[in-house]
Amino acid sequence: MGWVAVGLGNDLRSGMAMPARIDGVDLALWRAVSGAVHAWGDRCPHRGMRLSQGFVRGETLSCIYHGWQYDSDGGCSYIPAHPDLVPPKSICATTYDCIESGGLIWVELDAPTSKPPMLPDAAALRSLQIAAPVDDVAAFLEAPDQSVIDTGDAVVVLQPTDKASCMIHVLARQNPKQTSRWAETLRKQIEEKAA
Amino acid sequence: MRPEIENHWYPVAMCSGITTPRETLLLGKTITLGGQPGAFWVRDAAGNNLQVVERYGHLWTSPGQPERPLFTIPEAEEQGRRLVDCGSIKVRCSPLRAVENFLDIAHFPFIHTDILGAESHTEVERYDVKIREDENEVWATKVKFFQPQAAQSADGGITTDYMYRVAAPTVSVLYKTCPPRPGAWDVITLFVQPLTEEWCEVWPWMALYDDTTPMSDLVSFQQMIFMQDRSILENQIPVKLPLDPGMETPTQADLTSVAYRRWLKKIGYTYGAQVVAA
Amino acid sequence: MILYDYILSASCYKVRLMAALLSRPLQLKAVNFHPLKEHKSPEMLALNPAGTLPILVDGPLVLTDTAQMLRHLVSSQAADWQSDQDAQWLAFAQTLNDTLGAARLHDILSYDVDIEQARKDGVKQLRTLEEHLSEQRIDGLGFLTGDRPTVADIACFPNTALAPDGGISLDPYPSIRLWLRDIRALPGFIEMPGIHRLHELATPPGASL
Repeated sequence: MGWVAVGLGNDLRSGMAMPARIDGVDLALWRAVSGAVHAWGDRCPHRGMRLSQGFVRGETLSCIYHGWQYDSDGGCSYIPAHPDLVPPKSICATTYDCIESGGLIWVELDAPTSKPPMLPDAAALRSLQIAAPVDDVAAFLEAPDQSVIDTGDAVVVLQPTDKASCMIHVLARQNPKQTSRWAETLRKQIEEKAA
Repeated sequence: MRPEIENHWYPVAMCSGITTPRETLLLGKTITLGGQPGAFWVRDAAGNNLQVVERYGHLWTSPGQPERPLFTIPEAEEQGRRLVDCGSIKVRCSPLRAVENFLDIAHFPFIHTDILGAESHTEVERYDVKIREDENEVWATKVKFFQPQAAQSADGGITTDYMYRVAAPTVSVLYKTCPPRPGAWDVITLFVQPLTEEWCEVWPWMALYDDTTPMSDLVSFQQMIFMQDRSILENQIPVKLPLDPGMETPTQADLTSVAYRRWLKKIGYTYGAQVVAA
Repeated sequence: MILYDYILSASCYKVRLMAALLSRPLQLKAVNFHPLKEHKSPEMLALNPAGTLPILVDGPLVLTDTAQMLRHLVSSQAADWQSDQDAQWLAFAQTLNDTLGAARLHDILSYDVDIEQARKDGVKQLRTLEEHLSEQRIDGLGFLTGDRPTVADIACFPNTALAPDGGISLDPYPSIRLWLRDIRALPGFIEMPGIHRLHELATPPGASL
């Protein structure tokens, strides 16, 4: 599949976790206090609670259900119900490769064979969800099969989330508020067409 | 539907809330209920009358032929108890996940923070769990946990003793330390109505020794606790409860839930469950 | 001040939260809204003929409109917690009640609501909120009307934060996510069922960091 953009670096602050989805695969993205970003399967191996609702402390992410704490390598390092237990190495989150580049956060679900695409020079502005498949967006922008689309005033990076919807990450060259409103109009037009 | 699923008692209404006939779902099928105290009725979609029992403020029915009469809670019938109907709350989860959450204490410091638990005291000490063969129920005893505000009737933090009981596949009862009457147990139940395999309606109910707290506060407290759990219940994956090991990882603190899952598998109860480790 | 309150009500929570953020003591009187519909009892109707909650009683003053209650709480705060745009956001908060809030009451308490429409309209409102908060961030501002929270934020917060209770995901709104977090991190913030504590702000004894 290759690298997929899942959000803006600025939208994931240090000490925060947030959800993302690539083609139906749910992810928990999180940024440690040091700034390092991680992308894990959005599921705690204990009782299946979404890790994206967890809390970050230092370089660890804890599940909000029972507080099971995971280190940056995905291994469970602390189980509050058994404070003296060293958790077995088999208890770990599913980890994926995750890189920040061009102001966006990129995730690779398979083994990466290259780096994320170089983005045209433009400032990361915002992400929007569109209730249409990613192919509809690419087709509307007359760039079928492309995931990084340069419209001149803006750059649109596509993220397939599931069959019926996607996220777009918009980078602006011109006035940011104007570009934001352009993106809103773009969404409206695509959704009206898909309906 | 298999008899292993149908031949159980299920809660379908709060008796005092039955005003006019209404429809609801049980195990994915529409049922209608109505009537008055002493004469409540439940009918299936074909119009056949189902067996009914009124007990503990709720109406119970079965689409099949339960092997045993409806469970009893002798403590709940003691003089001086306040019986608290809490109404119902719907939640998009497997009925089995709702029961299992009710049996769990390790989440208290994180989900019921500063009420039923705090991060200063997260350890869950060993307790006893047994499947009681005669009654065909799961019981956990000698459970204890330190709680900042264990009940409306508690004055500050106490170590609360608990017992947990699964009286039917979707019926859980807990017994906890009763601050006004040392030696007695407060009884709190979660009666779970399976609407579908992935959607349920929970009916919390209590039988407490508490002569001072206003009824509205007792009801609020229990609804608050359940609503804190609801946002967890709607975010567990997979939706259906895995009955085979492999998908999920229990520890010693989870012995009650381990026993519950093993018992469900043993009695062939798979409604809201998945049986192949994915 | 006395608040006739229902623990699961988003509107009641607006008042509880505002009072907590202002460190104003509030005596809560729990009303058995569900299952007993106590807010419609003769005693409650005598206090508020509209039969709604919350009700705020401050001496001789009996307030029955949530926006009025929020304004009343901040009236003694000079410029803090107030702005010129509060009115439009208090009105917007009402639309969140009518969409996100209605969906929630349908999903939890089986209220009779056109759920598909409520969710559809709720998504529209969330998108409006997301667009506005994104534009605020472009200007370096973190709250609805400026760089500090006002009644506007508190009025809009509960129904937004509880949207998932009504089957409306907050996943696709990064600016809303940051705004919700910043409100939850305010000194004096109190939770309500469905809005968890920010455990990242606590340092527990003994845990490895």
